[in-house]
Amino acid sequence: MKLKSPFTGNRGKMIKPGACAGLLIILIACPLFIKSPYLFHIFNLTLIYIIVAVSFRTIMTSGQLPLSHAGFMGVGAYASATAAKWLGWTPWITIPFGALVAMGVGVIMGYPFARLRAVYYAMISLFFGMLIISSVKAFDTWTGGAAGLTGIPTLFGYSKIPYYYFFLLLTSVCLLALYRLEFSRTGVTWKAIAQSHEVAASVGINEARYRILASAIGCLFAGLAGATYAHYNGVIGTTSFGLMATILLLIYVIVGGAGSFFGPIIGVVLLMTIPELLRGLREYVPYISAAILLIVVYIMPKGVAGLANSLLSWFTELRKNRRTSNAS
Amino acid sequence: MELIIGTFANVLILSSMYILVALGFALLFSIMGILHVAHGAVYTISGYICYHLAQAVGLNGWLSLALTVVVVSSFGLLLERLCFRPFFGEFDRSLVVGIGLILIIQTTMVITRGQESLSIPSFVDGFLRYGPISVSHERLVTFAIGAALLLVLVWFINNTKPGLQMRAIAQDFRGAIMQGININWISAIATVIACGSAAVAGCLMGAYLNLNPFMGDHVLSKALILVILGGMGSMTGLFYAGLVLGALDATLPVFFSGSVAEVIAMSVIIVVLLLRPTGFLGREIT
Amino acid sequence: MLLELHKVTKHFMGLVAVDDFNMDVDRGELVGLIGPNGAGKTTLFNLITGILRLTSGKITFNGIDITEKRPHEVAELGIGRTFQLNPLFSDFTVLENVIASFHLRPKSSLPDVFFNTATYRRNEADIKEQSLQILNLLGLDKVKNELGKHLPHGHRLILGIARALAVKPKLLLLDEPTRGMSLDEIDLALGAIERMCEQGVTIVLVEHNMEVIDFCDRVVVMNFGKKIAEGPVDQVRKDEEVIKAYLGSEHAA
Repeated sequence: MKLKSPFTGNRGKMIKPGACAGLLIILIACPLFIKSPYLFHIFNLTLIYIIVAVSFRTIMTSGQLPLSHAGFMGVGAYASATAAKWLGWTPWITIPFGALVAMGVGVIMGYPFARLRAVYYAMISLFFGMLIISSVKAFDTWTGGAAGLTGIPTLFGYSKIPYYYFFLLLTSVCLLALYRLEFSRTGVTWKAIAQSHEVAASVGINEARYRILASAIGCLFAGLAGATYAHYNGVIGTTSFGLMATILLLIYVIVGGAGSFFGPIIGVVLLMTIPELLRGLREYVPYISAAILLIVVYIMPKGVAGLANSLLSWFTELRKNRRTSNAS
Repeated sequence: MELIIGTFANVLILSSMYILVALGFALLFSIMGILHVAHGAVYTISGYICYHLAQAVGLNGWLSLALTVVVVSSFGLLLERLCFRPFFGEFDRSLVVGIGLILIIQTTMVITRGQESLSIPSFVDGFLRYGPISVSHERLVTFAIGAALLLVLVWFINNTKPGLQMRAIAQDFRGAIMQGININWISAIATVIACGSAAVAGCLMGAYLNLNPFMGDHVLSKALILVILGGMGSMTGLFYAGLVLGALDATLPVFFSGSVAEVIAMSVIIVVLLLRPTGFLGREIT
Repeated sequence: MLLELHKVTKHFMGLVAVDDFNMDVDRGELVGLIGPNGAGKTTLFNLITGILRLTSGKITFNGIDITEKRPHEVAELGIGRTFQLNPLFSDFTVLENVIASFHLRPKSSLPDVFFNTATYRRNEADIKEQSLQILNLLGLDKVKNELGKHLPHGHRLILGIARALAVKPKLLLLDEPTRGMSLDEIDLALGAIERMCEQGVTIVLVEHNMEVIDFCDRVVVMNFGKKIAEGPVDQVRKDEEVIKAYLGSEHAA
């Protein structure tokens, strides 16, 4: 059973800075023509989950399947929330604090697990995620246990708009950082380890060190997203960070396309944002999600991004052929 | 004394049900390489079908059980053809299909029956008394059926030709195919076994405890733990894991509060897996 | 002495794979390691590069004890190798395979990498140029954008050599580098080996192809994990034990 190598290799050619800037401008201008606070709530959640999903995939590029990832979002959330609520620190400090705590735990988890083969790492990290949740429930005097933690100090007031801009900024910065890592030598090294750890070792790559690095970075961003979420929502509970949550993350990545940097983003939008937008349908919403899942899994083996990549290459081949036949 | 007997009986029954469900899941994974995460949902919907047959249609308890098993197993065959075969060996895509199925099944149950707990009327009534000890017939029968089914399955896998073929496929897929084993046929049998046993477990638990649309999640995670701890491809490993987990479940809460017990249990599992990643008796996964 | 193997022994449960093996390799030598299949040659390579742990014995490289060192540490010290079963980075292109192999030299620090500093960009441009040079040298430049998994067998082996070269090794361990190659490819490989020798790389070569072995300064023969002969090629060819090992007792004497 091999963990599918997480990149169909578009090698980052698809990103045109102009298009990104354009998208950003549109997003920034949104509040001018959209007024519903509910919609902005969904945007905010989407932005937060994009960070979590992309960081999940970043860890995957090093050949590890971190089935504890939602748990690390929880570590960041609870660390930050408890520090703010019980120690009185301002959220502006507790959020980076939460992120660092998550990173620390990620390194602690990374150390003993970094020598394990992919399958076993996946299984053990699954239990580690459950351990995180159980620990949160056990320390219920501070964390509120299974019932959840309320009364978390929030970043801004009641309106969703300041949060929206904050999350736009945060998500952009995080995506930039993760994108940079992916297409730099570090990313190359991760992908080398994922493909063949023997060959990687034979060219001097210290597999354990790079896997721990991937864990650390992935958990840092997950913790950051979690902490930010805590101070946005004001309330957190263990269900958002448990096994089901991690499996959902994995589904977002697979459906969006595990091979592409943008896969997780597509996955979040398709499977979280769109169903939330259709909330009017109430109990029938999961049917929509199920439909999306089944359509993608049956017709798009590499996820939506994979299909997009294939279409793109097919298109460029077509244009290339037409050009050469025109020349002759 | 009552309490000890009661707890002991409880643990036995729950463990046997978990093992039953875990067995089906492990079977499907080792033979077809798919993660049947919807297995919990199969378990749940069996309970609901049985409830419907017993309450709404008014059939006799045992008849409802039997009919449910038949219906669910047939559904399993359909599942195998449409959802398992296209994703043979691809565990990530089978995961997505599984989640899709779970969503469909759970939502349908929530819509048709609502979220409150229901309970299937007991299959048997009465108590067995022996001196100061009294055990409900229901407990005895539930455990007896569960244990009997497990024994039958074990016998089947170890002593019959299809069972042998299943083990062959699980150990060496290519070799088995080259020996002429009909993978489609074996997959179908495995699916029937898995869904059938999940159905029995679902009905029994629906009567013993109660039904809610999400009970499958809990059972599935327990089954997952058993499969991972016991080791891939090892049925005996599964049994040992079931016993260990049952023992932990029973003894730890006596000394520690619920969530602390969970923390200890998880830590123990992680340490065990670090020392022995293949689980108790599992093979190396290639 | 560049590489010293002293009483190297490896047991696998009941099986003795390498038995009290001694060998010294001097700088600049081209040493052939031959023996029937199963003699323990690949195991020996795995012991040297740290993939397997020795049961007993000592291995010294360039004066440093590498007996307990792990594979990436051994690579860092300057030992490169190819693999018999030839795994490669299958989802990378040929060019990316070689670029990825330039992990050690030059080495950019993490801050350099992340902030895309001038140092980093210079290093990467350097690496790309050197990679293209290696590919040209080995005749792989035409397929440089082919995915690893699409490569035919012979190309994979040559790619293995390319990857080993990227490590800029002082000692190169080649495990059956021409196995299954066509005649043209063998010529290419031989040319590459010749050039490496000229540049002063020490090479230990496991081969069955006598054409390649003829180039070696010296040959070491292994059977059942033991060294059974050592010396110049002609001398070893006539050695009784060697003939017995390969062809059976009737042909000796």
